[in-house]
Amino acid sequence: MNKISPILVFRIVLALLFLLLSAALFRLQVMNGTYYKQIAESNFVRIRRITATRGEIYDHKYRPIVTNVASHNLYLISGKVNNLPALADFLKLNFGLERADLEQMIRQNRFRTYEEILISDNIPYEEVLALSEQMNYYPELAFRVGTTRNYQYPNHFTGYVGRINEKEYARYHDEDYSINAHIGKTGLEYFYEVLLRGKDGREIVQVDSRGRSLNLFRNDGSITPVNGLGLVLTIDNDLQEFVNQSFPANMRGAVVVMDVKTGGILSYISKPGYDPNVFMQQISPEIWSELNNSAKPMLDRVIHAAYPPGSVFKPITGSLGLERKLIDRFTILSNCAGGMQVGNRFFKCWNHAGHGRTNLIEALKGSCDVFFYDLSLKLSLDDFHDYAQQNMVCVKTGIDLPNERRGFFPTTDWYRKTLGKKFAIIGRKVNLSIGQGEVLTTPLQICAYFSALANDGMWIQPHLLESTVGINRLTRDQVHPITKKRLPMSASTLKAIQDGLYAVCNLPGGTGAHVKVAGATIYGKTGSAENAMGRTTHAWFSAYMVTQKPDIAVTVFLENAGGGGGVAGPIAGRILNYYAGNIDKITRPVPIPPQFMSSDNTDTEVENPDANPAEKPTPEVGND
Amino acid sequence: MINRKKFDFTLAALLLLLILLGCIAIFSASSSKIGDNITSMNTWWKQIVFAIFVIGIIVGLLRLPMPIFDLAILPLYILNLLALVIVLFTPAVNGSHRWFAFGGINLQPSETAKLLTILMVSRIIAKEHLTEFKQILYGFGIVIMPVLLIVIEPDFGTTMVYWIALLAMLLAADVPLFYVLLIISPVVSIVLSMYWLAVIIWILILIFLLIRFRLSWVAITIASIVNIFTVLIMPVFWNGLKDYQQNRILTFIDPTRDPLGAGYQIIQAKIAIGSGATIGKGWMEGTQKNMNFLPEHHTDFIFSVVGEEFGFIGSMFLLLVFFAFFWRLTVVIGELKVRDRKIAAAGIFAYLMFQTFINVGMNIGMVPATGIPLPFISYGGSNLVINSLAVGVILKYLNERGFMK
Repeated sequence: MNKISPILVFRIVLALLFLLLSAALFRLQVMNGTYYKQIAESNFVRIRRITATRGEIYDHKYRPIVTNVASHNLYLISGKVNNLPALADFLKLNFGLERADLEQMIRQNRFRTYEEILISDNIPYEEVLALSEQMNYYPELAFRVGTTRNYQYPNHFTGYVGRINEKEYARYHDEDYSINAHIGKTGLEYFYEVLLRGKDGREIVQVDSRGRSLNLFRNDGSITPVNGLGLVLTIDNDLQEFVNQSFPANMRGAVVVMDVKTGGILSYISKPGYDPNVFMQQISPEIWSELNNSAKPMLDRVIHAAYPPGSVFKPITGSLGLERKLIDRFTILSNCAGGMQVGNRFFKCWNHAGHGRTNLIEALKGSCDVFFYDLSLKLSLDDFHDYAQQNMVCVKTGIDLPNERRGFFPTTDWYRKTLGKKFAIIGRKVNLSIGQGEVLTTPLQICAYFSALANDGMWIQPHLLESTVGINRLTRDQVHPITKKRLPMSASTLKAIQDGLYAVCNLPGGTGAHVKVAGATIYGKTGSAENAMGRTTHAWFSAYMVTQKPDIAVTVFLENAGGGGGVAGPIAGRILNYYAGNIDKITRPVPIPPQFMSSDNTDTEVENPDANPAEKPTPEVGND
Repeated sequence: MINRKKFDFTLAALLLLLILLGCIAIFSASSSKIGDNITSMNTWWKQIVFAIFVIGIIVGLLRLPMPIFDLAILPLYILNLLALVIVLFTPAVNGSHRWFAFGGINLQPSETAKLLTILMVSRIIAKEHLTEFKQILYGFGIVIMPVLLIVIEPDFGTTMVYWIALLAMLLAADVPLFYVLLIISPVVSIVLSMYWLAVIIWILILIFLLIRFRLSWVAITIASIVNIFTVLIMPVFWNGLKDYQQNRILTFIDPTRDPLGAGYQIIQAKIAIGSGATIGKGWMEGTQKNMNFLPEHHTDFIFSVVGEEFGFIGSMFLLLVFFAFFWRLTVVIGELKVRDRKIAAAGIFAYLMFQTFINVGMNIGMVPATGIPLPFISYGGSNLVINSLAVGVILKYLNERGFMK
């Protein structure tokens, strides 16, 4: 046998392999060195991201709400920086960028030096033209055309996009966000980020400075971007505009209009408003302080704030009484002589003259407090809490917007924790029965509840998204199923409550009797809620309309505006009239007649300062 | 028990030189230069800490009594297999389950398994009474266990290392060359099956070699038929694959098909090395590196940094140091007379050489990207510690010469 020593084999293989590597290195570095040097100097081989176009947002008749417009952006490639002081001066002069900020930006991206860093976006075109000549001195800078968002009108539901920040980048960069990406910060832009953003593409850039392909790669292999889906909302721009103009100037509050059959929100107004477009540029300190003034224009009063509901809560108390068979629709409770004595305290009714002895329908009509005080004595607090939540009040509705407030309804446990062992539960229940005390709701919850009353007791999750358009047509149910839920009330209970609401708007003596719509029947409830924010009550009016057309529910809420019937009612009336087709042209905001500024006051006791209604939890910010 | 007369200073010096070159390259690779500002990641001093640590471990190993060392291998091998099983249940990093993370230090059990498997195999197949067939069978049996576990991770590149080491060990165990030839012939046939001319030449060479080894005509006929059959069955098998599976394999063979994935890195490495030209751009001056085109340039693509900054002269110098190191290993293998130690040394030699070749070949675009680091040079604790430890084992064997025989 031909014996070869293994060591010889090892040496032959070793020598062959190293000869091969040396030869390859010689060819690469010595023979082709100049060629690769040129490629390296031109820096032209790289992967470039092609940003997908973000989906636009439309109202339900496909009229634009949020669109994309072209923008000019300035980018920096930090690896190409030669003369840092000159660059810093140039940027400070033209873009107001401080040198320290620039250095920090470069430092943050020191291991991404080949990536373009967005320095300034939405630069006016005139400025781009003026600067483009000087740009030759700064090869590290480049203008690129991109898109930015244009919000058609101030609103609180679209939210806005912004540059991805470090925290978001750390969290999402696995999902293919670049360091320059824009990401939804609030509202629908945040909630439907996944649908809106699309999928970025990639292209391999392999051309030399004369534009010739370097032919380093067999096929170009680029991935075309997939544009984001457009959103079609349930919002009606005409109605939104009308409601916006009908809203009394200089008032704070919210209006929600809902389609009772679908749960779609037709109009979503929170006032004072802000223009999301201001976030598309660098925000100046003046605008910033304007956005953070005491009226809180950034606060979405529809879902981000919870308020004492006042008398619009009474249908829930009433239906609980009916459901638990404590009363029926004819039961007459204590005589209202402007108030009622419970234990050692006297609880007043808003009407000092008194309502006399009433049944449920009449109590709802005149918004008699005493009837509900008396009823509350028979209720268990925790049952009351559960029942309110089963009516989807004081729980999150699950609307397709981020950070919704839950609202609040106290339980016995909660009282025990906050007040200690000794407290008079009866007095608490009395207050809660008329929507005062600790109970807090959002205007959206009230609107959804009234909408459910209109829809034969079927509660439908309020939502803004109707469908998507673009490469994928998804209905809202396909994106995320809409929750539907039957309210816990029998047909006869529902009928009694509906009759009560009918009486409010249609029978003489009803607190909302002045809200009239020709050709339609209005069912509504007024509310004037005592609160810790000011002397004047919050004005509530929540109603639904029955016509041949699809029915709608409207909730008008005004912070510290006065009585529900007087202030909020007329606005709701205008909206309902507009929807019913009785007002063709929008005229001007409704001036509030001075005689309506104070009436219909629900005067509850204010004898115990620490038990002041709606002081704990605070009505404006987070018990959530 | 470091015996000065027997300690191999040449090998140790070459090892230290390689580690030192690695630290220099890593310092440059982990820094980036913008204008006149240089910023470094902390990788380079971590590497120095690992280097000092590994020297300590080798000294400890040399002092360890031989019987304890011999006894420890089987339990360690079994523990390592267990670790390979457990690592499959860790959260995936970049889509594969390879690492244990302990407070910033990542342990990769497939790295330690290389050395332990080599030591295990050498122990088993060195036994005198075994037939050649049994040597192959046992060697195969020991290697297949870690290989299967590593394939599940998934990490195909690493498994190649095991087969190459096994082949070298069989050679060192005096298994005739034709056995090795017969084992690898179907693999070669599969690789070449796309080119008919290459297949015909390969089969002719195979038959010629087998005749030279004086095999019976029956054996030669069977070997040829098996190989031709393999070649013929390949197109059938190939057409049975789905499009994306075909693409995946083609990309593995030719990464430039996939410019956005592995191909991008290889092309960028090639540009970096090529642009270094003859004398290079100077330490810390690599523009491709500074522009950070290569995300992994301090680990798998460290050679591109050397090539770019020190040019042909620098990369040849590094290659020659490697060549001297491996040549010294072949000399040393000849000096080891205890059978299982000699086999182990051959396995270690083959595994280090194969990794070096694959890594450098990958950097200059000769072989597909596999994720195998450059021994002693690439950043990474596991890589440095295990490879140096493997050399340490050879140093220990040399140190123990004459005690047993």
